[in-house]
Amino acid sequence: MNKDTQMRAAINHKLIETGERECLKEALRAKCGCKDQLQAHWEEVIKEKGLEHVTVDDLEAEVTPKGRALVPDGVKKELLRRIRTFLTQHASL
Amino acid sequence: MKMEDMSLSGLDNSKLEAIAQELYADLVEDSCLGFCFEVHRAVKCGYFFLDDTDPDSMKDFEIVDQPGLDIFGQVFNQWKSKECVCPNCSRSIAASRFAPHLEKCLGMGRNSSRIANRRIANSNNMNKSESDQEDNDDINDNDWSYGSEKKAKKRKSDKLWYLPFQNPNSPRRSKSLKHKNGFSVCTSASNTLPLLFSSSGELSNSDPFKYNNSTGISYETLGPEELRSLLTTQCGVISEHTKKMCTRSLRCPQHTDEQRRTVRIYFLGPSAVLPEVESSLDNDSFDMTDSQALISRLQWDGSSDLSPSDSGSSKTSENQGWGLGTNSSESRKTKKKKSHLSLVGTASGLGSNKKKKPKPPAPPTPSIYDDIN
Repeated sequence: MNKDTQMRAAINHKLIETGERECLKEALRAKCGCKDQLQAHWEEVIKEKGLEHVTVDDLEAEVTPKGRALVPDGVKKELLRRIRTFLTQHASL
Repeated sequence: MKMEDMSLSGLDNSKLEAIAQELYADLVEDSCLGFCFEVHRAVKCGYFFLDDTDPDSMKDFEIVDQPGLDIFGQVFNQWKSKECVCPNCSRSIAASRFAPHLEKCLGMGRNSSRIANRRIANSNNMNKSESDQEDNDDINDNDWSYGSEKKAKKRKSDKLWYLPFQNPNSPRRSKSLKHKNGFSVCTSASNTLPLLFSSSGELSNSDPFKYNNSTGISYETLGPEELRSLLTTQCGVISEHTKKMCTRSLRCPQHTDEQRRTVRIYFLGPSAVLPEVESSLDNDSFDMTDSQALISRLQWDGSSDLSPSDSGSSKTSENQGWGLGTNSSESRKTKKKKSHLSLVGTASGLGSNKKKKPKPPAPPTPSIYDDIN
């Protein structure tokens, strides 16, 4: 798997270099309206738990699956397409 | 990292797809994590619930849209008529004038310290009886200070009613009254001139050169010495309104030379010569015609100093040989004068000493020509 990881690292590196990664991230954020929902959800959670006891780990454990689920399909497909395009463009590199 | 050995084209589509999916998942996770961090920070910093407000407080801060009020509901110009009580002097001051008043009242701030320093300097000046009129121009400035105005007015009233007898009300005069004849040395700091007129039996004005708000000197009580010195340094024309001598320079624009000549003749006799200024100001030459009269006068006076910039006290000090004048420039000038006289033996002082700084080299040059001739 070393080669795979190496390759993945290389691709990632390339993504960052070209700035594509940032673009993708922005696209995800902009098109994803799930933030408000997540925030509302969070307010309830925090009120229950109390402000003092909120940790990043808790948040992450809760948010990540939810966030993943909340991404609309269209956005998901769009992103995937862009990634694929990027990969084929830089295939020879 | 070499990319040649890892060529993506060699990969099949499924692998590509897998990679794409992984990348996508990575992206989503990153966003979620970013969101987590934001929320966590908001919670910990305390601004997470900041946007929540109850309707009651929302109503309190509604934007006001009424005429005469600003959007906060405050009345415009409310502070103009308000009065504040000064904590220092317990006076009620208008709000808009409060800050400058406080500055002066407390004595802090640039202006108040400047005024105070000026007042101190002026009072010192008057105590030492400096005849530099220009220094005292500051009193004429319209500073907000009742004190200096009152002082000036008081002195002016003193001057107006000045008679051959001293004004009994003025404390300064009373001290000089003690030594009417002979040497009268003022020992108190408040007294102005050292009165050293032995030759003149009169009691001189203790502060004839003291500046007051009026620009004149009453000449009735001045002795001949003082008169002479005055007339050589100042305009001296007697004003019709105030019956005082003009204390401006010899070139004062208010009076003509004829007037000055008249005054001098009136006071000093027909031999009085008006010190000619106009033509000879720029060069240091002196008037030959003046010199003869001046020589005689000088010799009679002893080593009288005719420099215009010297104060009266320096002249008197020279007369008697003791200097109670405190001005260092006086002593410097007196030294110069003596060297002048010894060198030249003529009254070069008059013509050349119109300027503040008499130049020692200048007077000797005419004498050289004299010798040659």
